[in-house]
Amino acid sequence: MTHSLHRRGAAEDLCDDFVVVVKYSRQAMAADTQDRMRRIWEIFSHHEGNLENFGNHHPNWKGGPLYSMAELKKMDSPIIHAVFKDREKLKACLKEIRENDLGLSVVVSGLYDETATLCGELGIKPHTVNQSLGIHGKTELLPEEGILELHTMCGHAMVSINLIRDMIRKINAGRVTCKDAAKKLSRMCDCGIFNPDRAEKLLSRMTAK
Amino acid sequence: MKIDPEKCISCLECVDYCPVHAIVEGEESTAIDQEECVECGVCLRADVCPVDAIYIPPESREYPRLIRAEFSDPGVQFPTLKQGGRGTEEMKTNDVTGRYRRGEYGMALEFGRPGTGTRIAEIEKVLKVLLTMDVELEKNNPVFLLLEDEKTGTMKPEARQEKVLSAILEFKIKEDQLEETIRRLRPVLAEVDTVVSWGLATRVSEDGTLPVRSRLAAVGLPTRPNAKVNLGLGRPLVEE
Repeated sequence: MTHSLHRRGAAEDLCDDFVVVVKYSRQAMAADTQDRMRRIWEIFSHHEGNLENFGNHHPNWKGGPLYSMAELKKMDSPIIHAVFKDREKLKACLKEIRENDLGLSVVVSGLYDETATLCGELGIKPHTVNQSLGIHGKTELLPEEGILELHTMCGHAMVSINLIRDMIRKINAGRVTCKDAAKKLSRMCDCGIFNPDRAEKLLSRMTAK
Repeated sequence: MKIDPEKCISCLECVDYCPVHAIVEGEESTAIDQEECVECGVCLRADVCPVDAIYIPPESREYPRLIRAEFSDPGVQFPTLKQGGRGTEEMKTNDVTGRYRRGEYGMALEFGRPGTGTRIAEIEKVLKVLLTMDVELEKNNPVFLLLEDEKTGTMKPEARQEKVLSAILEFKIKEDQLEETIRRLRPVLAEVDTVVSWGLATRVSEDGTLPVRSRLAAVGLPTRPNAKVNLGLGRPLVEE
């Protein structure tokens, strides 16, 4: 549950970070469910240049690049994820999904006020909202906030805190660029919900001399 | 997960990929601390070992150790539920299933998130408190597969010390139980030996507002600016 809910960061850092999740309910499975999921990939492929990341929860045992849109369009997907940084581009994609009326559940993770406004512009009435009430318990175990912002972009915790620290060390030593470090971190998130563009900005800020 | 000491050249390339810092430098080769490893498979999927020394030993897929992979590796299915992931469809499909109705709140407590992992025994501490309260527990959540006794919340003894990346308790409350639920949960959450990410799902009011936000702020539990919004584009199975 909630693998895109608990992303950390201030509103100004989250304003260009939207995760779209498309899911069918197992209670409403029908013979054409996977055809409709493939239609979603078709729609996302029209917007591929505007996606920061995408995926379908398929573990990447082979290593190398995580996903190919062409391959995803052929596969069965239990869930579909796509990440946008630009709200207008997200809006165009959501408009197309809505017009296709596929009957699948669509969830947007991002700044609530921004998402609600965007829904209003599209004539969509949001149904249910999931809100993060923060982190409780033994919070002294947590790393500093900047590291946490990067780490929580993969809710399954596949992007390790030590790997983030290693990337910061390598950037500071001039051994890797922020862009390449962000890509390397993103590669570990099997669901494709890590936002490499936002990660690059965070890494640039954290390593600014 | 294990590292074959015959193959390992101690290059340490894999060490930083482990989400729970379980890969340690030994005297002759790098090794994975079996007590700390959560069987998430990240070290293998990272594909950084130059000599292919990292592998999944058969015991990683044997019960009770299998619990670790089921709650840590997004690609491993729960045999009973035939699904991956650590939770349920929760609010993601609420427009279709109607699981959370007006007048109700869904809550989720995710143990071990972010980044610390948890022993299953930590979940038991909070579950035992929840069972004394008038809440509706989500029994399709895989945590319920680990229960020895549903009435007391006691976990199966073989599961208690298994370590996982995270596990979730999901439950529903009536709207008027909000403040009391928070009051009861806070002290026990403060005592667990891990971190817990807390989430709350609510229907959006007819006028588009979220009245729960001011109630949460009033008890010192403000919501974060970001949220997950179900757009309501699914075809409902139930009429309201």
